[in-house]
Order: sequence, then C-alpha cells, then structure tokens
Amino acid sequence: MDNAPDVIYFKDRNGRLVLVNQSHAKGLGARPEDIVGKTDFDFFPKKRAEIMAEDDMYVIKSGKPIIDKVERATRPDGIDNYVSTTKIPMRDERGKVIGLIGITRDITRRMQFDRLKKEKIRIEKKLEILETLNSLKSEFISTVSHELRTPLAIIKQLVMLVLNETTGSINKKQKEILKKTDNNIERLRNLIDELLDISRIERDKLKLHYSLVNLNDLLKDSSNFFKKLAQEKGITLSYHLPDKAINLFIDADRINQVISNLINNAIKFSEEGGGIKVEVKVLETKVRIAVVDSGIGIARTDLPQIFNKFMQVSKTFETERKGIGLGLSIAKELIERHGGEIWVESKVGVGSKFYFTVPLFYRPNKLNKQVKNKIDSLLNRGISAQFINLLIVDYKEFRKRVSIEPKRLFNDIRIIIDGVIKKACQADVRNSSIILTDIRNGRCSIILPGMTQKKATELANLFRDEMKRYFIKNKTRNAFITLGVMSYPRNMHLRKARHFPVSFSIKEIYIGSETRRFERTLYKVNIKILVPKNKTESSQTVDISKGGICFVSSRLLRTDSRIQFRLDFPKNKGSIYTEARIAWIKKMESSPGKTVNKYKVGTEFINLKNKYRKILAREVKF
Amino acid sequence: MDKKKILLVEDEKDMRYAVTIQLEANGYEVITAKDGQEALDKVYKKRPDLIILDLMLPKMDGYKVCRILKFDTRYKGIPVIMFTARVQDSDKKIGEEVGSDAYITKPFDPDVLLNKIRELLKR
Repeated sequence: MDNAPDVIYFKDRNGRLVLVNQSHAKGLGARPEDIVGKTDFDFFPKKRAEIMAEDDMYVIKSGKPIIDKVERATRPDGIDNYVSTTKIPMRDERGKVIGLIGITRDITRRMQFDRLKKEKIRIEKKLEILETLNSLKSEFISTVSHELRTPLAIIKQLVMLVLNETTGSINKKQKEILKKTDNNIERLRNLIDELLDISRIERDKLKLHYSLVNLNDLLKDSSNFFKKLAQEKGITLSYHLPDKAINLFIDADRINQVISNLINNAIKFSEEGGGIKVEVKVLETKVRIAVVDSGIGIARTDLPQIFNKFMQVSKTFETERKGIGLGLSIAKELIERHGGEIWVESKVGVGSKFYFTVPLFYRPNKLNKQVKNKIDSLLNRGISAQFINLLIVDYKEFRKRVSIEPKRLFNDIRIIIDGVIKKACQADVRNSSIILTDIRNGRCSIILPGMTQKKATELANLFRDEMKRYFIKNKTRNAFITLGVMSYPRNMHLRKARHFPVSFSIKEIYIGSETRRFERTLYKVNIKILVPKNKTESSQTVDISKGGICFVSSRLLRTDSRIQFRLDFPKNKGSIYTEARIAWIKKMESSPGKTVNKYKVGTEFINLKNKYRKILAREVKF
Repeated sequence: MDKKKILLVEDEKDMRYAVTIQLEANGYEVITAKDGQEALDKVYKKRPDLIILDLMLPKMDGYKVCRILKFDTRYKGIPVIMFTARVQDSDKKIGEEVGSDAYITKPFDPDVLLNKIRELLKR
C-alpha cells in the first residue's frame, strides 16, 4: 500500500485519519505518524476541507460509496491539479458503518490529454469544414463561370453583328463605341477563363493533352496576333528563334496560353516606344523561353509573390492596368505540370525578364494494323475493352542510346507485364488479355477485354512503376529515361464497330529517352564564385559535366549573366578557373510547395581552356 | 444556283437569333432546331447541306446526334461543325472522335465560322 502512487487512507466516523499511506503523507508534507488522529481541517484550506467533510458524512451516513469524483484541487504544496476520489464505507461484522476508505488519484495528466484530444477533434472538424467550403467554393466558381460564358457569348455575337455591319452600316463614332464594348467583352471572357482554370487546378481537374509540337511553329502562330497588338501601342515585338526545329512533347494549347500571358503582360506594362523580345534557347535537357520587356518593372519586394494567386503588383498607381493576377499563378501551375520551371528577374524602371523551361522529349503515335484489327473484332462482338499502349519515344535514337538488346528488352517488358497482370488481376482477365509486342517499332500493346477503366488506370500505373524499376536496375550511362502514362477519353472512333457505344479507352505509357549533351555526374566540392567588386562567395556544386556545373546559391543571380568561379579538386590538387554563363535558375524547396531562399543554378562554361578540360576529365572521369 | 441550306442546332434562343442573322446576311438559308431530337427530325425531313451543332443540348446531346448521323450512310456526307461554349480540355478530342468535321468555340469570330462553312461546302 505504501508503494502505491495513489493516496490511500482510512477515516473513522468523525473524519479523523486512522491510517494513511506514504503518498498521502508526502502530499500533505508530513510524516504518517504525525497525520494519524488529525482531520482534513488540519491540512487543507477551510473551504476545501468542508467539501471533503461533507463527502465523508454522506458516505458514512448513507452507507453508499462515492466513486471517481473528479475535482480540481490545490495540493498543500501549492500545485494545482485534478484528482479523482473514491470513498467506500467500511463496516464492522454487523454491517454498521465505522469509517471509510479513501483513494485519491492524481489525474492531471489524463485530464490534459483528454483536453488535447478534444481540441484535436475540434480542429479536425474545423479543417474538414474548411476543406468542404474550399471545394464548394471551387465548384461554385466553376459553375458560375460556365453560366457566365453563355450570355457573354451571345452579347459578343450580337455586338459583332452590328460592329461588322452585317445588318447595315454604322458611323465612325458608333463603331468606336462598339469596338470598346468588344474589348471589354474580351476582358471579361479572359477573366472567366482564368477563373475556370484556377477552379480546375484547385479541384485537381486540369488535364494536359500532350502532343508532339514544333515550338517554332507554335511561336510563329502567335507572333502575328501579338505583333499587331504591340504595334497598336507603339511597341516593337521581336522573336529570336533557333533555325533548327525544336520538337517538344507538350500540351500546345497550354504552353501557348503561358506564352500569350507573358507577352500580354509585357505589352500591358510597357510604355510607347518600348521593346519586347521573345527568345528561345535550347539547353542540355530543356528548352528555355524568355519574354523580355523594357517596361515599368517589378519592385524587389513584390518579386517573391508574383506567381501567387490574386497577386497584382503596383496596385496603387497603375489604375490603367488592371487584372486580378491569376494569369501568372496559372502559368506557374501549367509549367510545373509540364516538368519545367518558371522564374522572373526584374528591376523597377528597367524592365522584366520572364523565363520558363520545358523538358525535351517527344513521341510519335499511331496504332499498328494488327492491334487495330484485334480491337475492332472485340468491339464488333460488343465486348468492352481497355487498351494500354506502351511505346518508346523515337525508337531509333533510343536504341543508340540504350544498349539493351531489343529482343532482350521486349522479352523483359513482356515478363514485367505478365507479372503485373498475374499479380493484380483475376483469372478471367489473365486468360483473355492480349499482349502484342512490336519489336521493330518499339511498341507493346496490351488489350484487356471486360476490364473497368479504373482497374486499367491502376494497371497502367503498376506497369509504369515496374518499368521504371527495370530501367533503374539496368542503368543507362548516356540517357535519361522518362516514363509517363496518359489517358485518352472514352470512346474512340472506330468505323467498323457496328455496336456503339462500346466502352473503350486508351492509355499510353511512353518511354522517352533523352541524351545529355554532356554526361552529368553528381559531384560535391566547394567552389568559389567571384562576384563583381572583387568579392568571393563560397558555394557547393550539385553536379558537374563537361559543359558546365550546377550549384546552389543563396544569391539571386541573373539569367544569361556571366560569372567567374574557381573549383578546387582536393583529390588531385588541380583547380579550374573559368567563366560561365547562367542558363537556368530554380528556386529550391525545403518541402513540396515550400520555397527557401536558395537557388539551384545551371551554368555553361565559356571557352573552357584545354588544360582545365583535361583536369576536369581526369577528376570526374566522364 | 440554289441557296445552301444550313441547319443550326442551338438551345439558346438569342444565340440562335444572332447566328441566323449572320448566316442569312451571307446568303444561306437557315433552318433551326433547339434540341437533339428536333435536330434529327429536321435532318431527315429537310436534308440540310451543312449542320452547325451545339454540344450541350436538351434531350440528346450534340455528340450523340453527331455519332448517329455519322454512322448513317445516308447522312454521313453532311458536314458537321461542332459548336460549344465549353473549353473543357477533352471536348476537342471527343469532337474529333465522333467524326465532326470542324470545331468552333463560342464566342467565335464570324469570319472563322463563315470560312469554315465555305470550305466544308466546297468539298
């Protein structure tokens, strides 16, 4: 009893303590023998002792116990806590109550825990409500925007009828008025489109539709429109494109939207007589597109927020140039979904440079005849099917880059696919699935009759993951391997199908390979960056190649500016001193979505001297 | 030469009004329908030379109308222009899959529509 952490005591009918354990004595700050014979009034404040005496009397008079009475109590040593008290009557052989046994337990920690738990539940409920509200908001925006589009389209059409003089001529003044009306209709339309995009992004409903696109064509298409627009404002707009076609695997409409947004902004924030340049530069593994203006610029304090939702800088004095600033946050989302980066450099009064990158890889696309026939025959029998097409992008190049023998590669792919189907599917699917490999063209088609679309998505992802693991295991020295899954919406147009609509959907797993102009090697060594005014700054490289290095900087450097740096190799005691040009910048994240003030910077050497080239080759062993 | 007959299927009354004026001003005969069912009836009865088909229609949506016509050997030769206010990402793709000949988003530039009509009627 003495070792129990709980307070235990016996009291007689008059509330006098007959026996107490060590815990109780310690709590009261006295020795057990000094406590015996005394009452609670000797140790506790009067008010508290009165309550305790009342409880004692109740137990003794009624003969009923008090169980687990929770109360807040200040201990004699002054510590405020919660206790749970149980008082049980004690009887003699004849059943007469002669006193009571009391047990008091300190439950302060349990109470705190309960309180925290309650608080946690409350917060979780609140979060849930907030999330629901947020998704309701997004849905609301989406519905409202769709509803707004219809009347707006009608207004536009009606205005155009008069403006274009379809129904008879109008005078110059009337034309001017309607032109202004039309401009504002366009403004409203843009706004609605942006709201729709944002709500799609928030609901995770934004889907990209990739296709093979020549970037030069894409830019040329938009240049006519924007050149006219710039001219109206007295601004020169020029395009600087490489001669060679740049094939990208992108959602053309979405990339066009980003470029248009940047050019529109540049025009909006440029004064008459200003100039805007659109520049395209092909880097090692990506293409960089820049929109450079000589406009009003962005204040340094505004720069970090420029890609945030609802952010519009220079609110105060630029009443002419309105907008709710959704465009750039949409652009950021679109570029990041493409696996690229977007950033800005700007100076008030000098102008802004917006840059974004898109990774380089591409893919041809067509089903072969054998596969088409198989699908047609299934559909003609009214059997729904899911179709997963695996294809290697630019197979000819792929074979040069990746040294796995084609026969072996496709054998391995087949084994992987078989394995996944065996593991993830029921027997009927296992037996009816059709796998067709086309080694010559680098394709593999998987037809899954009677499968649900959801299951097919799951399978496609499993295939991709397994394939990824395979390529990691069979490491390729000079190439990147990119893998992706794309879905096409439901029914495909099949001329031969007699029964329609039959559920049929296509998924495509593409395996892209991209050679690096220079092989990059992870290589950590301290470098000294020589910044202007004879200062130096230390940093660490991330990776290194024959063409340049990549390092982390806490300083916001400028794209295309030149820096000098010194690299000391500890192993062979060599060092390199060279000049390089900054090709791309990426803001680093401590965790997804949380940026820190550090930048990953990619550079390209400028005229690296031969002796340094040798040192580099020896050190890094390319 | 006879006036070319265009069937305009559109559920919004005022939009129908606006496009009708536009087409008539350019020398076309316009017949209209306000839902998918009516559209099919008009095609069977009046045999238009070209169809402008809204996607979001009561009773039967534009995709379905288009698919039914394109699978019917008697009518699959009539060019169909899909016409919608939606820019839902997949719309374009589906439009192609059901065999429509062109796709125009509302609001549209009248010249774009007229050029498309001329081009399709020439075929």
